[in-house]
Amino acid sequence: MAFEFRLPDIGEGLEDAEIVSWYVSPGDVVERDQSLLEVLTDKASSELPSPVAGKVLKLSGQEGDRIKVGDVLIEIEEPPTTPPQENSLEEDLEIEESKPERDNSRIEEQKNFITVAPKVKASPATRKLARELTVDISSISGTGSSGRITNDDVRLAAKSDNTSSRPSSPIDSEQTSSFMPERSNLGFMEPGEHKVKGVRGVIAKNMSAAWTEIPHIHSLDEVDASLLIDFRNRLKKVTRQGASKITPLSIIAAATVRALKKYPMMNGHVVGNPAEKIIIPPSINLGIAVASESGLLVPVISEANSIDIFELAEKISELVELARERKITVEQMQGATFTITNYGALGGRWALPIISLGQAGILGVGKIEDRPVAVEGKVEARPTLPIVLGADHRLIDGDVAEAFKNSIMNDLLEPLNLLVTE
Amino acid sequence: MVVGEVSSSVDLLVIGGGPGGYAAALNASRLGRTVSLVESRLIGGTCLNVGCIPSKALIEIADLASLGNSSKDLGVKISTSVDMPTVNKHIKGLVTDLSNGISFLLDKAKVDVINGTARFTRPNRVAVENKEGHLEHLEFRDAIVATGSSPITLPNLPTDGEMIVDSEALLFQDSIPDQLTLVGGGYIGVELATVYAKLGSRVVIVETEEQLLPGFNKQLSKKLENGLRSLGIGICLGYRAVSFDQNELIIENSKESSAIPSDLVGIVAGRKPNSDTVNIVESGASLLSTGHVKVDSQRRAAEHIFAIGDLTLGPALAHKATAEAKVAADAACGVSNAFEPNCIPMVVFSDPQIVTVGVDPDSDEYSGMDFNSFRFPFSASSRAKTLGDESGFINVVSDQEGTIVGFQAIGKHVAELAGEASLAIETAASIDDLIGTIHAHPTMGETILEAALGLAGEPLHLSGK
Repeated sequence: MAFEFRLPDIGEGLEDAEIVSWYVSPGDVVERDQSLLEVLTDKASSELPSPVAGKVLKLSGQEGDRIKVGDVLIEIEEPPTTPPQENSLEEDLEIEESKPERDNSRIEEQKNFITVAPKVKASPATRKLARELTVDISSISGTGSSGRITNDDVRLAAKSDNTSSRPSSPIDSEQTSSFMPERSNLGFMEPGEHKVKGVRGVIAKNMSAAWTEIPHIHSLDEVDASLLIDFRNRLKKVTRQGASKITPLSIIAAATVRALKKYPMMNGHVVGNPAEKIIIPPSINLGIAVASESGLLVPVISEANSIDIFELAEKISELVELARERKITVEQMQGATFTITNYGALGGRWALPIISLGQAGILGVGKIEDRPVAVEGKVEARPTLPIVLGADHRLIDGDVAEAFKNSIMNDLLEPLNLLVTE
Repeated sequence: MVVGEVSSSVDLLVIGGGPGGYAAALNASRLGRTVSLVESRLIGGTCLNVGCIPSKALIEIADLASLGNSSKDLGVKISTSVDMPTVNKHIKGLVTDLSNGISFLLDKAKVDVINGTARFTRPNRVAVENKEGHLEHLEFRDAIVATGSSPITLPNLPTDGEMIVDSEALLFQDSIPDQLTLVGGGYIGVELATVYAKLGSRVVIVETEEQLLPGFNKQLSKKLENGLRSLGIGICLGYRAVSFDQNELIIENSKESSAIPSDLVGIVAGRKPNSDTVNIVESGASLLSTGHVKVDSQRRAAEHIFAIGDLTLGPALAHKATAEAKVAADAACGVSNAFEPNCIPMVVFSDPQIVTVGVDPDSDEYSGMDFNSFRFPFSASSRAKTLGDESGFINVVSDQEGTIVGFQAIGKHVAELAGEASLAIETAASIDDLIGTIHAHPTMGETILEAALGLAGEPLHLSGK
């Protein structure tokens, strides 16, 4: 009998979802928990796993279609649920054995098995190293004689898995690690007309509305990041949960949360166009913009005002990882009151980020690099962090924006402030 | 659920005490697990008790028994006679020694060995029945299933333990049959044919395929056929055995049928996985159409269930089981590992011996792919000449970049080349690596060097190619 898989309620108050792409076609045999399709709700995309094993009979709906919760998505023919009986197994074998063809089937199985062996040009010890460093050894091209993969090749691949480019400063790799590795298909699209769907469609709608509605002002500045790096290095050694997850981004986030506490207007937003009312939320929910394969996703650290820098670092690391793997849920991306976008991880220095609707500000973080700085009348190379504050001018004037930004910069120059609990 | 069923808890349960099971138990114990091992018969499994070990012992004895024939031309006259009860005592003695050795290791590793037959009753539970018929229920955290395989039975030729026997019984015969017919020309069949031909039986092999060792390289198979025929073994290819009546085995092909006089018929048609008796599907594992258990690269068959050895797809060989045992034990203990060998060596202890490792460019699975290979005949090997058998050859295969990917050899003592061959393939050695390695003279290992030189276009003991 065919199993009807209906769109489950995958998010609070969800009514429908858009089919982004099908991973299976009619006739395919699927296993339990195999991903069937990607759906998009609000701003989260989810892969829906098959609850049963069987053969795909029918797909209801095309890519780009919207499906209501409870509607049939796919029909799957389930195999009989009773396990194979011993007797029938025995009989099968014996019947097979009594035929002359039996050896063929046996050989076929063996051949298939042997073909499975990947002819990886690396010693067992090197393959073991790859497993330990979770590197896909089949994707590495070896530098040894006749293309043999060496331990160094594996270590290099493990390193470049974590960094999208060659690190140019000691914390570059960390700054980058909150983003995905370089994609080979980045910026590519087939010539022709394309339907705007999925995460792209949501981004288009939201950005257009935000850009049209919010009068943006931007303020650009640079901070000497020497103490920030030193602070990060020392904090990492602290024996405390979350200490190992401390990155420059989590320190910037902690400084931002402290500034938002001081200037609640920056944590508020304007409702209506041009302006009907101002809302100042009771808690700080910090959004962190993350590039994912399907587009920009913004996981949210809720109640960031009630946690310390260690917990903040841990939560950021956890949510960014979920977003990058596109395993994040709708709820985990809702309710941001302020956003940080780290285009420095992509190599950028300056950018003018767009504020999301429902927020009054956004902090852009550029790449930390050694730059010439005037120190006591002399030019010195110092690690420097470029930051940009974007604010909704309907609510925020220059004085508030500058005071807010200065608060963040002061804490980055004296990060010990971030350990003070109020 | 059985009402009133009381179970004891165990940490890691290993089912089967063969080369897969006992290795898994020792590995897991070393990784800190508390291990219980259920074995229905004898520790050491098929390999040690009724497979590789007794068969190799018997092969050595058969070689000794036939020394008179092979030494004639070398100027040595030997006459031999064989006393089967003494032979059996010797073999049983060495098997017991080895089995005791493994029991000692298991004991030292604090593995709790339970004698009985295990059967899954739930995903995390087995019922173990001992010889007296008592049932004990064990609830485990993880299980590694290594119940091995059994000889395939043929419905038209059921074994009776007297006239029609399986491969296990053929290893412990009280007397040497006059006329032995073996149904099956795989590696078990050709090894036993060699043994009994050397012990003095008139042996006939009946094989349904058109070659001995189906699936093996045809050149090797043809060479083996010649070797076996010169031992006086009759070989009927493309025939199936139909029935046995009044000391005659009836065989037929599409055109004709004939009768082979036999006072003993050995059914050596291969082995089938013991996945049904242990009821492994109840654990959540699924079976392939062949009865093998479906596993991933960690040998995981279900969340807490691992299957290894003859239960999983691939050649039913002890060394494969032992290698999988390490992977499964590691995986069950949270250590990263995967069963992804570049090759699994296959060795046949017939006379001549055969070894095949890695890519065989003549086989269908590699058709259309470009390899270079060089065949070095043993007639140019000084060691082969001193051994008095120069009919064999070695074939070494490399890919287009010069990486060694395969070996096939037939001849005296070539089984011992399996180690170097496998190491070369696993480590992705190049032709130059083989050439740059000094091989001891005079050994059969030198033939690997000679073939590598041939691949490089610089043969030493051959003129031209």
